[in-house]
Amino acid sequence: MAESILSFNQFSFQYSSLAEPTLHDICLDIYPGEKILIAGPSGSGKSTLAHCINGLIPFAHKGKISGDYTLKGCCPAEQSIFEISRSVGTILQDQDSQFIGLTVDEDVAFAFENDCVAPEEMKPRVARALSMVDMQEHMNQSPHELSGGQKQRVSLAGVMSMEVDILLFDEPLANLDPASGKHAMKLIDDIHRDSGKTVIIIEHRIEDVLEQPIDRIVVMAEGRIVAVGTPDEILSSNVMQENGLREPLYISALKYAGCGLTPDAQPSSLEKLSDNEQVRRALGEWIEVSDNSPHEHEPVPLAELQDVRFAYGEGTEVIKGVSLKIGAGERIALLGNNGAGKTTLSQLLTGMVTPTSGDILLNGESIRQWSIRRLGEQIGYVMQNPNHMITQTMIRDEVGLALRIQGVPQAEITAKVEEVLRICGLYSYRDWPVSALSYGQKKRVTIASIMVTEPKLIIVDEPTAGQDFKHYTQFMDFLSRLAERGVSLLFITHDMHLALEYTERAAVLCNGEIIASGSTASVLTDTEIMKRANLKETSLSMLSRSTAVATPEALVRHFIQYEKRKKQVSEHE
Amino acid sequence: MKQSIFNLDTRTVVAIGIGAALYGLLNWVSIPVAPQTGLRPAIAILTVFGALFGPIVGFLSGAIGHIVFDLSSGTIWWSWVLGSAISGLGMGLVFMSKSFSIKEGRATGGNIATLAIVGSLALIVGFGISSVLDIYLFGEAPDKMLLQFIAASLSNITVHVILGVGAVLGLLKMNRSNSNLKVSK
Amino acid sequence: MSKAGMLYIERDTLFHRLDGAVKLIMLLAWTVIVFLFQDIRVFIVLFIIGLVLLMSAQLPWKRIRLLVWVIIVFNIFNSIFTILVSPAYGSEVNGTTTVLIDLGYEVLTLETVFYILTLSMKYMSLMPISILFVYTTHPTRFAGSLNRLGVPYKIAYAFNIAFRYIPDLKKDFISISHAMQARGVGLARGEGTLIQRMKHFAAIAIPLVQSSLARIDTVANAMDLRGFGKNAKRTWYSSSPWGRADIGIVIVCVIVLAVSITVRVQGFGTFWYPFNS
Ligand SMILES: Nc1ncnc2c1ncn2[C@@H]1O[C@H](COP(=O)(O)OP(=O)(O)OP(=O)(O)O)[C@@H](O)[C@H]1O
Ligand SMILES: Nc1ncnc2c1ncn2[C@@H]1O[C@H](COP(=O)(O)OP(=O)(O)OP(=O)(O)O)[C@@H](O)[C@H]1O
Ligand SMILES: [Mg+2]
Ligand SMILES: [Mg+2]
Repeated sequence: MAESILSFNQFSFQYSSLAEPTLHDICLDIYPGEKILIAGPSGSGKSTLAHCINGLIPFAHKGKISGDYTLKGCCPAEQSIFEISRSVGTILQDQDSQFIGLTVDEDVAFAFENDCVAPEEMKPRVARALSMVDMQEHMNQSPHELSGGQKQRVSLAGVMSMEVDILLFDEPLANLDPASGKHAMKLIDDIHRDSGKTVIIIEHRIEDVLEQPIDRIVVMAEGRIVAVGTPDEILSSNVMQENGLREPLYISALKYAGCGLTPDAQPSSLEKLSDNEQVRRALGEWIEVSDNSPHEHEPVPLAELQDVRFAYGEGTEVIKGVSLKIGAGERIALLGNNGAGKTTLSQLLTGMVTPTSGDILLNGESIRQWSIRRLGEQIGYVMQNPNHMITQTMIRDEVGLALRIQGVPQAEITAKVEEVLRICGLYSYRDWPVSALSYGQKKRVTIASIMVTEPKLIIVDEPTAGQDFKHYTQFMDFLSRLAERGVSLLFITHDMHLALEYTERAAVLCNGEIIASGSTASVLTDTEIMKRANLKETSLSMLSRSTAVATPEALVRHFIQYEKRKKQVSEHE
Repeated sequence: MKQSIFNLDTRTVVAIGIGAALYGLLNWVSIPVAPQTGLRPAIAILTVFGALFGPIVGFLSGAIGHIVFDLSSGTIWWSWVLGSAISGLGMGLVFMSKSFSIKEGRATGGNIATLAIVGSLALIVGFGISSVLDIYLFGEAPDKMLLQFIAASLSNITVHVILGVGAVLGLLKMNRSNSNLKVSK
Repeated sequence: MSKAGMLYIERDTLFHRLDGAVKLIMLLAWTVIVFLFQDIRVFIVLFIIGLVLLMSAQLPWKRIRLLVWVIIVFNIFNSIFTILVSPAYGSEVNGTTTVLIDLGYEVLTLETVFYILTLSMKYMSLMPISILFVYTTHPTRFAGSLNRLGVPYKIAYAFNIAFRYIPDLKKDFISISHAMQARGVGLARGEGTLIQRMKHFAAIAIPLVQSSLARIDTVANAMDLRGFGKNAKRTWYSSSPWGRADIGIVIVCVIVLAVSITVRVQGFGTFWYPFNS
């Protein structure tokens, strides 16, 4: 085999502020031209490993290194970060911070400017990079005029125009709507194929990454590499499940159906699998087990939007006449493409912005004159970006803030805070400062801080962004139990399966208008609607279509109920 | 280990820029206490950035922040740009002390007193120079400038000591608790 | 306030096409000339020239009127304040006393009134050129222009970062304040004692500063990864070579500045009072 381009040998790293190493005994060789996926639970050290590759460790984050690491045969710690940046191009996890220029074209030009490329020469190169990601007409826009997906494309153009050998992506899909995510993966694949660069992708959305060919998957847990193999090898084993990761849904379905998957069956390809006679039979038998369809009844309305319209300042209308009812105890998914107005709609509901026309009712009473504070007692809102909500230094104080303001006795606060921290998987971090948490962990802190206030309606903007399967299942299950006690839930999400699993009803927002609303399963099988709102079928419904053993709705429902029963059984044990 | 204050690495450049953005932005906020003077919370930004990153960052974020604010309000008042810059520089002097490091959560009582006192002096000297320049460059009346200067100094020092030094103490406490972290069961 | 907190308005006029560095030289020369003199005639001439230039830039009145009002209101307050504190200052400067009103603690003199007019005109004569600069210079060109005038590029780049993050910080400030209110922190407008208001302000500002500090690290990392600071120089995407107009204007600026300094050294241009007998 060829000489490896990256090589870790018994490599360990410990952040100087932590008492224990974050990475242990990493042994990994990556060869030129490979395309690698790194998967692992939140906090397992994926970003830390990425920082070792791009030189931020040891140049920006200090800590203790032991073992060997070589990049193109040299030891990077003896070079400077600039030399490393000649070989490695990185897209960081945080999109806003890596947009450095004041405008799109300037941002793409940033690396050229630092290389002293003459302006005349720079312009055509920038234009070429932007046309590759289809962003030319946005050339002069500022970052705050772009949606998350558009910013992501600009970053892609920025690193692609650098002549590097290795491209490193830290969660490129977080916050992208499914269609944009698919587009981004396609783009990465095109670059990989055309240029032969080595590509390393870190991502929680494993199913979306695997839609394009991947050479090897590296699974990490608790700072160690627990498995390395081709997608076929990893998918046919149970290593993902065992480490709290979400496998592609069709793989789980087939495993539940009792199909023994082997690498030879090529489980990474849905088409190949569906042609397999044995797979069809097993799936058909599994689904035979009958199930009851959900009963529908009209709940008491809690909140109601009546023909609400809204525009930011003098700009164009962002919400164009939305009417929506939220019943008590209902679980609703709000879906839609990037920039459709989902976040804006939740800000309208929480009084953070006021509609230009139309009305919002809560228990039949108009909330136009209500203060944000008064509304906050009834409607809890977990914002998209956790950094916009966190105001205290310590986790404990942050979660208990609302209770302290209400004047709840200290002992009661402590008990309540510890209870929700347990639910959110943060109990063992209870005495940590917020600043030492990973992005996904911070998001859970904000969810916890809203849970303690026990509102009537909880809105969660992107609950699963940056979360692993095990943790989000934990708090989503808890939230769902609240719904049984009459609390309404509104989830804003790009994860179609999450919507199917945890909500009865879905509303689809597209460019400021509700284009569909109804039972989640029926909305998410309407291909016309899905296409308009940049949504995507889950691999479960693709599986049902290609094997033709059941309707997509039936398979999805069966799958969800099967998982629910499995969970109940494991809770009893 | 601390680096030399004259070494403009990327982190320092970004600190100057973001410090300036905060200072420029918060300059829009003023809680009026007397005619033509108000409590300007922006002053506390100079305290924090000076103490965290040193005199050069304090000086430049003061200057750039003031210019950026003026650019969006119509006229650049060069004399006051200088005042902001000198104040920021003074706030940063405590950074030179070996026993003081916010990043590592270390500070002696003496450091904090230095920050409070030297910072206050810097505010007096800095905006004193601005007032004198206004008298010479614009021909403002000295009595009027003196009155304005006293009112502004009092309110600036209040903000510096209460909000600014308070924030520094908070950061120190936070960073002290940010070391030797263990996952507890 | 559109682009990045600066007030740039897109047009195609001579001023818009001029290089940022040239406009900055012009602004600086203009400011120095204003500082040199204390003669209302000079200021009136400058003010009129400034207005003509401002007209030529075709800026819509609707967008600039707020700034004009800010300066006028500032002048009114400044004048009132000066009259109250130093009603006889004009006489001190001019050496003559023409009493207008007896204020009790002091007299208000005609000289002072004229002095205040001169001072206001001095401030006003700076207005058109400043507005011109602010509205015709795109913020992306600002840093490059400073670098061209000899400011080290790292310091010049700090301006870029400031412009880049002001809109973000503004948004963060609002989000944080909303999040706090939704969780029950009272922040009623204009209510409460001074201490309470400072406290409320700190409650929002502290998280804002904290998140900004965290951001310094991530932004610096992103810049490092793309090679910022690796060379002793850098180029600027938005810069272009100076044209004939640019060079012409710099020459005019230098000449006018030189003439002004000469005239001032000869003794012309101190406080001018028309009613000296
Ligand atoms: N700058 C830092 N200083 C101290 N500890 C850190 C730092 N960054 C990360 N850690 C710690 O290292 C551990 C791994 O973090 P890392 O960011 O690598 O996780 P991750 O796998 O990328 O998680 P996620 O999927 O949530 O992004 C976390 O427990 C975190 O507390
Ligand atoms: N503060 C603002 N000022 C001006 N326009 C804004 C502002 N916030 C959002 N917009 C615009 O409003 C539209 C809707 O934005 P919103 O954030 O509600 O979208 P979203 O559906 O939440 O998208 P995403 O899935 O990317 O989070 C977008 O076109 C956006 O550019
Ligand atoms: Mg990460
Ligand atoms: Mg959103």
